[in-house]
Amino acid sequence: MKVNVKIKRFNPEADKRPYWAEYSLEVRETDRVLDVINQIKWEMDGSLSYRRSCAHGICGSDAMLINGVNRLACKILVRDLGEVINIEPIRGLPVLKDLIVDMEPFFDSYKAVLPFFINEDPEPPTERYQSAEDREIFDASTKCILCACCTTSCPVFWTNGRYIGPAAIVNAHRFIFDSRDQGADERLQILNQSNGLWRCRTAYNCTEACPRDIPITKAIEEVKRELLWRRA
Amino acid sequence: MYRGREGQWAFLLHRISGVALALYLLLHVIDISLVMYGPDGPFNAFLGFYHQWPFRIGLVAVMAGVVYHAFNGLRIIIMDFTGWGVKYQAVMWYGVLALTAIVGVPVLVKVIPEIIGRA
Repeated sequence: MKVNVKIKRFNPEADKRPYWAEYSLEVRETDRVLDVINQIKWEMDGSLSYRRSCAHGICGSDAMLINGVNRLACKILVRDLGEVINIEPIRGLPVLKDLIVDMEPFFDSYKAVLPFFINEDPEPPTERYQSAEDREIFDASTKCILCACCTTSCPVFWTNGRYIGPAAIVNAHRFIFDSRDQGADERLQILNQSNGLWRCRTAYNCTEACPRDIPITKAIEEVKRELLWRRA
Repeated sequence: MYRGREGQWAFLLHRISGVALALYLLLHVIDISLVMYGPDGPFNAFLGFYHQWPFRIGLVAVMAGVVYHAFNGLRIIIMDFTGWGVKYQAVMWYGVLALTAIVGVPVLVKVIPEIIGRA
């Protein structure tokens, strides 16, 4: 099938502002958007820049704003989009070139919530036991691939880039509700700051955008309640 | 425009109605406070000014804003304080819109004829 692809391009060395480049090409309807932009780059315009790595929805490199919604280019098929495909870089992060954004502010927020296991007790001779029920509480939050689809779909993040964002809160959730972890108080204190958790206005764009189907808003609300009840 | 779903529009309408109501309230407090300058003061002049058409229609918008903001506020409280609220947020938003419309009916029946009638 023939598709018309519009890509918002920007080369900081040549362009004053971003512009829409149009490409018309023949693709299969079972192609993914990543295949389409690969075809553009390899056969039509080698200067097109974007990130991709595993191409199977696990590395989280190719998050893009495709037809108005944040998705992974490697997880959306042409037949689900139709003949017109508009691709923009994800919003709220500085564009470096074409579809590549500076992810550092995003990773800084992630690092800020101490996304690692904290337990000062001496290591037990066997495992640190956790029941299946206790594991289930934060199961969804372990699935995050840090693609930034959620954080860059958030209207609050677009207007306030210092908001810690849904991805960081989900990764905090993963440890706050881990029965073996002891860092919950410290993480909740970090999330309680002015650009933390409470900036969430429950617009649900994060939940809709997540390519891993994590119920993000649910996780954020659970952290909000945890913080509230612990302080009460 | 980002193609968000119910939650995004609920948020956007909540924000617009909230800001609009805050501005309206400020204006309202200012013009009511003018009554302290007595019967010959600017209060009556302002009241006359507000009887013009755009403000009469604006009054209907204020009512719609209050009702939507109130019902959606309850939706947000349910989402924030219960474990199940998040799951039904979209359904609840349609409920908010329906309730806003239902409450709007008496406003349309009772208030609009008065607004138009006493021009």
